[in-house]
Amino acid sequence: MDRKRVDVLSLVETYRARFSKTSAGKLYGKIPISGQIVALVIVSLIFSFGTKGQFLKISNIVTIMGLAGIPMILCLGVHQVIIMGAMDLSLEGIVAITAVFSGLLLKNSVNTNDVGLWIIPFVIVLGGIAGMINGLLNTKLRMPSFIATLGMSWTLFGTAIMISRGSSIPIRDLRFQKVIIANIFGIPVVFVLAIAIGIITYFLQKRTKLGKHMYAIGGNEVLAKQAGVNVNRIKILVFTITGVIYGIAGLLLVARLNSSAARYGNNLLFPAMTAVAVGGVSLSGGVGGALNAMMGTIIVVALNNGLVLMQVNPYMQSAVNGVVLICAVALTIDRKKIGLIK
Amino acid sequence: MMKKGLIVAVLISLLFVPQLFAQASAEKADTTLSIGIRTLTNPYQANYKVGADMYGKIKDLPVVTLTCEGSSEKQLNDVRALVARTNGNVVFMIDPNESPNVIPLARELEAAKVYWVSWWNKPDDIKVWDYKYWVSHISFDGISAGEYTAEKLFESFGYNGKIVALQGLLSNSIAQDRFEGLQNVLKKYPNVELVAYEAADWDRTMAYEKTRNLLVAHPDIKGIWAANDNMALGALEALRAVGKAGQILVTGTDGTDEIYEAIKKGEAAATVYNDSVYQSGIGLAIALAAKEGKIKVENLPREHRQYFAEATNVDINNVDEIIAGSATYDFEDLFGAFTRPMD
Repeated sequence: MDRKRVDVLSLVETYRARFSKTSAGKLYGKIPISGQIVALVIVSLIFSFGTKGQFLKISNIVTIMGLAGIPMILCLGVHQVIIMGAMDLSLEGIVAITAVFSGLLLKNSVNTNDVGLWIIPFVIVLGGIAGMINGLLNTKLRMPSFIATLGMSWTLFGTAIMISRGSSIPIRDLRFQKVIIANIFGIPVVFVLAIAIGIITYFLQKRTKLGKHMYAIGGNEVLAKQAGVNVNRIKILVFTITGVIYGIAGLLLVARLNSSAARYGNNLLFPAMTAVAVGGVSLSGGVGGALNAMMGTIIVVALNNGLVLMQVNPYMQSAVNGVVLICAVALTIDRKKIGLIK
Repeated sequence: MMKKGLIVAVLISLLFVPQLFAQASAEKADTTLSIGIRTLTNPYQANYKVGADMYGKIKDLPVVTLTCEGSSEKQLNDVRALVARTNGNVVFMIDPNESPNVIPLARELEAAKVYWVSWWNKPDDIKVWDYKYWVSHISFDGISAGEYTAEKLFESFGYNGKIVALQGLLSNSIAQDRFEGLQNVLKKYPNVELVAYEAADWDRTMAYEKTRNLLVAHPDIKGIWAANDNMALGALEALRAVGKAGQILVTGTDGTDEIYEAIKKGEAAATVYNDSVYQSGIGLAIALAAKEGKIKVENLPREHRQYFAEATNVDINNVDEIIAGSATYDFEDLFGAFTRPMD
């Protein structure tokens, strides 16, 4: 039994080696997200047949882009921390607190505040501070990031519930919603925004010292420290940037629904994590980047869209989602780069 | 010695302090009307007090509100203390903090011979008819709520076209009840077709996303039925994103300010309001009728002992009235809201 399994794996390896020598294989190896592209093509093919072509209609592609915007931004946030080999579960909490503050500070039907566009720097600062606290807890108090960020998530979510008294706050400043649901040249604004954040993140990772150090920490923290990387400073900085990104997403979420409540942030962590994994960002750190996060999100959103279009029974959707997820990850993760499978 | 005596005197006098601050009304010989609720900080719960005060005014009887702030223990102790203070000359409307809490409450009030009515939560195997002083247990009817909102939604497009539905958490019984109501009405109108339904877990964000996807699959739908207001509002924003808000109407259930606004703007067709003003008023009315001998508990049919009631239906015709809180209540028709018995 054991011998057979080894044979299968080595057989796969032989084919992979042979394939990577062909010109198509060289191209496949060159593009960092080729696995994800193949996965997306497969998903698209299945759904195109399943929905008699409806899946690939322009209107649906625009819908997918519109829906992918906010999850993509969140995924771009969380994946940075994961690249460093840490974990960030504070997403829902930071989104909740920025959402509630956005609701209470923009023109709304509960109080007389109206800060207008000042809300944008406000959520950036608020998210940044929350993220920085994550980083400080992780580095200065030497708490595992998993539990520090989980604690932060609950604290912020609870505070958000308290401030909003658990109810939703309708927003009267319609400008934000108008912008977020608009299209530029047929492409949803929120998607363009997500791509822009993605490009910034990409350059941050590839072209700056911060990016290099991030990967160094993710690869091997001890070695990075010995090589003179100021690990604590980088970690705090990355957590802060991630917090800023969550803050922006919180505001976008509020703008989209034209209403704010603490619980609008619920159910966002899981899709973001899924996108990270499907995108091929290794949960053990050091592997993957912004492109992976972006592709991962598109696959996850396309998947959810396809399940609705194909009219998969809601009672079955979770299960189907799980199975497809496992298949997608099995197909896309780069086992060569990940030394340890935890 | 002197000092000790003084301390004792102060301590003894302290015992009387609570009486000084006690709600003065409770000291009359009239029957006290009391409600046992969770808190006054959320609008739904706070409206229980509005209803109780309203009924107290009609009957010219003192009202005492007991809030347990989430503690079943406190709820029981407060009820016990008020029974003692009024010598049992009291009736209760209680929204049990947790469903098992009705058992000690029922025992306590049975022993004290105090009539009471409960709302919402009760373990299924505990039957009201096993008690003499527990007059009724009432819950709002998910099926009739689903039927009413479906009916109004279909009316908005002339009973002819396709709809989609957003379900709550599939495992919740109230989600299943409301959906059953929708299906009942669908059977009545063969020209209305439910082309797809999705579970959006009561969540606004999820409802938004599911609706965006549903609108791609079924661009020709004429209405969206949602099992609660939160999902209806998520669906409404999804419609707005594709420029169809107001053309395709939504319906929900719960009765939130945001859905009222949407009803006024012509973007939502209807909702069902679980009106706690009515809940406490009618609960006290039933308990008081039993105490005054106007109804004989042992003669009440079982279907009036534990039943589902119809909540307040809200559409464009009465939405202003509901927002202003100026709805009129008929607390004389004790079982007027009855829709179906609870087994």
